[in-house]
Amino acid sequence: MALLEVTGLSKSFGAVQAVKNISFSVKAGEVFTIIGPNGAGKTTTLEMIEGLLPPDNGAIDIDGLTWEKHREQIKIKIGIQPQSSAMYELLTIEENLDLFASFYPNPKEVAEVLEMINLTEHRNKRVKSLSGGQRQRLAIGLAIISNPQIIFLDEPTTGLDPQARRNIWDIILKWKESGKTTILTTHYMEEAEVLSDRVCIVDQGLIVAIDTTANLIEQLSNEREVRLSFVDGEASARTAKQYISQEPTVVNTKLEGSTLHIWTIQPEETLYKLFGFTQDNGLRVEQVAIREKSLEDVFIHFTGKEWRD
Amino acid sequence: MFTQFMKLFSVNLKSMFREKQVWFWNIFFPIILMVIFMVIFAGGSNEFKAKVALVDVEHSEMSTQMADQLSSIPMFEWNSEEPVSIEQANEWILSDDIDAAILLPNASNGNELKLIYNQENESSATIQGIKGIINEFIVQANWAVIGVEPTFVVESQAISSAGHTINYKDFLLTGMIAMAIAQGGLFGMIEMVEMRKTGLLRRLKMTPVRLGLNAAAALLVRILLAIVQIVLLSLIGVFGFGATLNIDIPTLIVAFIIGVLAFNALGYLISSFSKTLEAYMGISNIASFLMIFLSGIFFPTSGFPDWLVPVSAILPLTYFVDALRDGMVYASGFLTSKFWFGLMIVTIWGVVAYALGTMLYRKSKIETR
Repeated sequence: MALLEVTGLSKSFGAVQAVKNISFSVKAGEVFTIIGPNGAGKTTTLEMIEGLLPPDNGAIDIDGLTWEKHREQIKIKIGIQPQSSAMYELLTIEENLDLFASFYPNPKEVAEVLEMINLTEHRNKRVKSLSGGQRQRLAIGLAIISNPQIIFLDEPTTGLDPQARRNIWDIILKWKESGKTTILTTHYMEEAEVLSDRVCIVDQGLIVAIDTTANLIEQLSNEREVRLSFVDGEASARTAKQYISQEPTVVNTKLEGSTLHIWTIQPEETLYKLFGFTQDNGLRVEQVAIREKSLEDVFIHFTGKEWRD
Repeated sequence: MFTQFMKLFSVNLKSMFREKQVWFWNIFFPIILMVIFMVIFAGGSNEFKAKVALVDVEHSEMSTQMADQLSSIPMFEWNSEEPVSIEQANEWILSDDIDAAILLPNASNGNELKLIYNQENESSATIQGIKGIINEFIVQANWAVIGVEPTFVVESQAISSAGHTINYKDFLLTGMIAMAIAQGGLFGMIEMVEMRKTGLLRRLKMTPVRLGLNAAAALLVRILLAIVQIVLLSLIGVFGFGATLNIDIPTLIVAFIIGVLAFNALGYLISSFSKTLEAYMGISNIASFLMIFLSGIFFPTSGFPDWLVPVSAILPLTYFVDALRDGMVYASGFLTSKFWFGLMIVTIWGVVAYALGTMLYRKSKIETR
């Protein structure tokens, strides 16, 4: 059964329709990622689900509860890390966690959360003096201190350096291991690929695709790009190009200096034949690469836009 | 619920006392201000003294006799033992070495006694005082000439409802305390603005905690701070400057609690429509500045020009400072209707400010971004 069920959600701000008829459901234990460019409607969608913005239309069901009838019960079931992480600046990490723990009937141990967000040794530091990554980890700590069933993380890694970003990923994966559910927004493709069970691509307030990362990639046409570069330069590359473009599985080829790009629907077969040819003709290959399809391709495919971080 | 309240209380307490600004504006600033005012206004003696010189052109029998009598007036301090020339006197007046010169009667000016002073100082208290003394002197002299004993005499004696004589120090000390408490309330809600700006208020709304509980905890912390202020200022006033307090505990407690609540409500109102910290500080500053000068903290309101009196008569600080004086120097008030009337006005300000503030907060839906 779905832990979160969103049906036909819409929201307008004046003349701007930020969210248009969004529906999806999330199962317990999933990491569900909403991905999309800035202004796509990610945060608006999230805030409606978190009960911070009333939707114009649509229904939100969290574990059988609705905001209209069960506001206080839902508050206990969910943990929120808002995009701007507000906390008591003059209090220490531990004091902040301790205070938030007191708001809930059945909180986690502060020590356990400190361990989980990897801030045990900094627990007596005041929030004011924390780095961006530490702040963000504490914000997640404040979301999980209530021991909720589901946490909402709104762009938790935006603006962090790669190491700090990985630290956050570790926390999310640990949380997932404990069988809990996460709803995440991000505009980092890589992050969505690493963390998510399912991805929902939002563009201009609409869901353009929703599935597991693997399925989404599979849905794309199955041609792959193979790249070879030759030691002896453009002449060898041209010879190889002439040979391989006659293969029926090869869709397209392109020459770029001594590098040959091949688009094929059968990369193994194409490479096998190509290597036979190069060996027979004494062409020396320097580098070979098959480019993996990524979520980025999916995004470009569905939205027709270049991805920009 | 109780543990939640205690947690919120301790959080508010820590947030407050870890903020250096709070220490400065709520503790050091009122103390410094009080010390300065005490030194300037309550330091010297209260006796009237004026520096004068005598000009006697004729040296007649009458003028010499008058000079003798004038020199025995204790309020006059003579710049020179002997009468001086009129030119010398003018020079002294213009260079402010003396306040005035007394020109004794001579044949050329009839029986006129002339008072010469710098026109710049015409309305100063010193000149007014000298004029009064000279007038009295002339009246006495005239009576002596015609040999009449005055039928009525005036003897003035200051009275007060306090158990002891009140002096300016007590007045100033209690005024300072009232000001510190009022400012604590007006500026205290800066936290609300800050919390709204940073999104902490919004973050708290995401939790099951009741914001009213947080407000109550914050208020308790403010009351505590006000107690610290009242004790510290009193100690410095009494032991540092010899002010005398005559405290009536019930009066003081009632006045104190109502005052703290009302001024915090005013701060709350200001916070409800201040979008930025700067706006809040600006408006609070104007409000407290106006109240401080119009509410008789440093000077009694009775000296105000007529048009200003009604303004002073509606400001809450006017009544709060009176009520506080009732509790701290007059040891009276609990049974007087004036005390309760004053507190009623303070309460009305508080209630209206709170209601209006709450309405504005609701209306803006606390766009806590």
